[in-house]
Amino acid sequence: MLTVDNISVRRGVSTTLEEVSFSLEPGRTLAVVGESGAGKSTLISAILGLVRCSAGGVSWNGAPVSRCRPALVMQEPRAAFNPRLSLRRSVMEPVVAQNLVFEPERLAMLCRALEVQPDLLERRPDQVSIGQAQRMGILRALIAAPPLVLFDEPLSALDAVTQKHTARLIADMQAQEGFAALIVTHDLGYAAAFADDIAALREGRIEEMGTAQAFIAAPQTDYGRTLRDAAFALGALERVA
Amino acid sequence: MIGVFTGFLLRAIVVLIGAALATFALLWHAPGDPALAIAEARYGQNVSKEVLDFIRSEAGFDDGFWTAFWAWLSPLMLGDFGQSSVNGREVWPDVVTAMSYTFPLALVSLALGLAVSVPLALIATRKPGSWLDRGAVALASVGVAIPAFWLGLLLILLFAVQLGWLPAMGAETSAHSILPAMTLGFGVAASLTRIIRSGILEARGQPFLPAFTRRGVARRDIARDHVAPHAVVPVVTVLGLELAFLLEGLVVVEVIFARPGLGSFLVNAIFARDFPKVQAVVILAAVIFVVVNLAIDLIYRSLDPRVSGRDA
Amino acid sequence: MRSLYVLVTVCLLLAIFGPMLASHDPTAINIPNRLRPPGGEWLLGTDALGRDIFSRLLHGARWSLGLAFVVSLLGLIIGTTVGLIAAQGGRVADWIAMRTTDTFLAFPELIAAVVIAGILGANTGSLIFALTVTGWMRYARIARGIGLSVGNRGYVVQARLAGLSPLAIARWHYLPSLLPSLTVVWTGMLARAILGISTLGFLGFGVQPPMPEWGTMLLDARVHMRSAPLQMIWPGLCVVISVLAINLAGDALRDALAEQDAKT
Repeated sequence: MLTVDNISVRRGVSTTLEEVSFSLEPGRTLAVVGESGAGKSTLISAILGLVRCSAGGVSWNGAPVSRCRPALVMQEPRAAFNPRLSLRRSVMEPVVAQNLVFEPERLAMLCRALEVQPDLLERRPDQVSIGQAQRMGILRALIAAPPLVLFDEPLSALDAVTQKHTARLIADMQAQEGFAALIVTHDLGYAAAFADDIAALREGRIEEMGTAQAFIAAPQTDYGRTLRDAAFALGALERVA
Repeated sequence: MIGVFTGFLLRAIVVLIGAALATFALLWHAPGDPALAIAEARYGQNVSKEVLDFIRSEAGFDDGFWTAFWAWLSPLMLGDFGQSSVNGREVWPDVVTAMSYTFPLALVSLALGLAVSVPLALIATRKPGSWLDRGAVALASVGVAIPAFWLGLLLILLFAVQLGWLPAMGAETSAHSILPAMTLGFGVAASLTRIIRSGILEARGQPFLPAFTRRGVARRDIARDHVAPHAVVPVVTVLGLELAFLLEGLVVVEVIFARPGLGSFLVNAIFARDFPKVQAVVILAAVIFVVVNLAIDLIYRSLDPRVSGRDA
Repeated sequence: MRSLYVLVTVCLLLAIFGPMLASHDPTAINIPNRLRPPGGEWLLGTDALGRDIFSRLLHGARWSLGLAFVVSLLGLIIGTTVGLIAAQGGRVADWIAMRTTDTFLAFPELIAAVVIAGILGANTGSLIFALTVTGWMRYARIARGIGLSVGNRGYVVQARLAGLSPLAIARWHYLPSLLPSLTVVWTGMLARAILGISTLGFLGFGVQPPMPEWGTMLLDARVHMRSAPLQMIWPGLCVVISVLAINLAGDALRDALAEQDAKT
C-alpha cells in the first residue's frame, strides 16, 4: 500500500505541495486532478523521490518507495526513450537494471495486450507513432511487474481516438496485473470514467477527495463543483453522468 | 547584483585557498631533500648534518604538512611572501622589481594585439568569403599555431642576428621591448582576430536584422545598435583565455629575450629550487588570474541580460 | 576540406611510421660531420653533435605528437569523469567537483605545467603528469554542462527509476550525448598539448636530450643561431604544421556538428 503522509514540498520560497496525505491500495486507481500548476507533477516527483519533501514522508508497505521499484509513464511518450537506442533496449532496461530473469513470454504477452507489433521493438523512438511510443512506454513500465505505477498525464500528447484506446488499455492492464495506479490528469472526464477515487489538487493542497461517483454526483467543495461544471460544459462528463 | 558579487567573491576566495593548498602540496612532495638543495645553493657542496637540521627547523620542514602550510599561509594572507631560501633576501621587493618589467610589456603587447586585430577583423568581415577575409582567417589560423618561443627566436634571427636592427637580449632600453612585444602581440592579434571576426558574423546573422534593413534603418545604425553590442559578448567571454595566453607567452618571451621579469624570475627560481620565490609567483599569478576572471564574469553578466539569473 | 584530411592523415602516418623512414639513428653522435648544411647524405643537415636533423624530426614526431595524444586523452578521461560526477552526484558532489575544477583553473595552464614539471624534476613522467593535471578542466566543464541538461531528460529519469547503476547510466545515456562536444574540445586540447610539450621542452623542463623532441631540439639549435640558423627553422615548422592541421580539423568537426544539430 502506498502511504503519502502529510508531505510538503518547497521550491525556493514558494510552496508547491502542502500537507498532502492519502493512501492507495494495490489494484485501485487514484486520479489526481487539478489545473496546471496545482502541483500534480511535483506530487509524482515527491512520491518517486525525485524531489525532497520538506516535511512528511512517503512509503510503500512501510519501506521507502524506491525499494518497490515503482514505474512511471510520462506525458511525452518519445522523451522517455533514448533516441539513440532501439526501443527493445529501453523496454528491457528495468529487467537488466534489476538483474531479473528475462521472460520472453511476459514480453510477448504484454506486446499482445498492449497491441504492440513485436517488430516495432527493433525501431528507434522517432520511427514509431506517438500512440505506439506511449504503448511502448506502458510496456516498459510494466515489464518488471511493479506493484505501483504512476501515470503523468498519460493521454495528453495523444489524439482523441488514441486517447480513448490507450485509456482502455491502461484500465485492462491494471485489471490483469493488479498494480496500484496513480494517474495525474487535468481531464476530469478521464478520471471519472476510469478511476476508483478522485483527489482534487489546488495550489498544492488536496481540496477534496472521494470515490469517483461521489465526486461527480455531489462535489463537497466549491473547487470540486467548479472542476465538475467545467468538465460538463466541455462535454467531457456526458458519458459517465 | 550585490548577491551575485558576494557569491562570486566567496567562490574566488575558496578557489584561491585551494590554489595555495595545491601549490604548497606540490612543493611539499617535491622529490629530493629541499633542505639539501637550499644548503647547497647557500654554502656549496659538502654541507654538514647540523646545517641541514638547522635549515629544516628554520623552514618548518619538521612540523608536518598542515602546520607548515598554516605557517606559510598565515603571513601570506597579510602580504608577507617570506624570504628566499637561497640568499635569504625578502621575496616581495624582488617580485615588485620583476613586475615592473613584466606589466608594461604585457600592456603594450595587449594594445598591439588589439590595434591589429580589431581593424583586421572589421575589414575582413566587410565581405565575408572575399580574398581579404580568407587571408585574415589564414593568417590568424597560422598565428595561433605558432609557439611564442619559436616566433621570438625567428624575430631575433631576422632583426637582431641577420639585419642587426634591434637588440635582442636584456631590457635596458625601450628598443629592447620591441621584439618581445611583437612576439606576444602577434599571438594575441591572431587569436583575437578569429574571435572578433566570428563574433561580428554571428551578430550579423541575428534573425531580426533583415527586417530592420527592409524598413530602411541605416546600415551604420544597425551596426552600432545591434551588431556591435552583440559581437562584444563572445570577445568578453574569451578574455580570460587571452589573459592566460598572454601570461604563458610572457614566461617564454622573457626567458628567450633574457628580460628580468616575473617569467624569468619564476624559471630561475625553479632551477634554483628556491621554493618561497616559486610560491610567490604562482600565488601572484593565481590572484591576478582569478581577480581578472571575476571582473570578466561581472562584465559579461552586465552585457548579456540573458545570463544574469543563471548559475555560471 | 580534402587537403585538410590529407594533412591530418600525413601527420598521423608520420607520427606512427615516420621513424621507419629515418635515414640515420637519431641519437648517433658524429662529431666530424657536425653542423653540416642541408643536402647530400643529410637531407636537412646535421646538428651540433653531427646527428641527422631529418631523422631526428621524424623520431621527434613520436615524442611530440605521441605524448600530446597521451596527455590529451588522459585529460579527457579525468575531465569527463569529474564532470559526470558533478552532473550526476547531487549538490554536494557538484560543489566539490566544480570548486576543484575552478581551483585548477586558477592558474594559467602552461605556467602551472612549467612549475609542476620543473619541481617534480625534468623527465617524461613528470611532463605527462604536469600537462594532464593542468589539462582536464575544460572537459569537466563541458561534461557537467551537457550532463546537467541530459539528466533532466525523460529517459535518464526512467533509467534511474529502473535502478540502472550510475556507471551504466553514464555509459549508455550520458556519454553518447557528450561525445561530439568532447571530441571538439579534445582537438583543441591536443593542439595545446603539442604547444605545451614543445614549450616545456624548450624551457628545459620537458623531454630530455638526447631524445629528439621538437622543443628540445630548438633549445639545442638556439645556441648555434649564428652559424646554423636553418636548424632553428625545421622543428618549429613541424610544431606549427601539426598544430595548424589539428586546429583546422577541429574547426571542420565543429562546423559539421553544428550543421548536424541545425538539421535535427
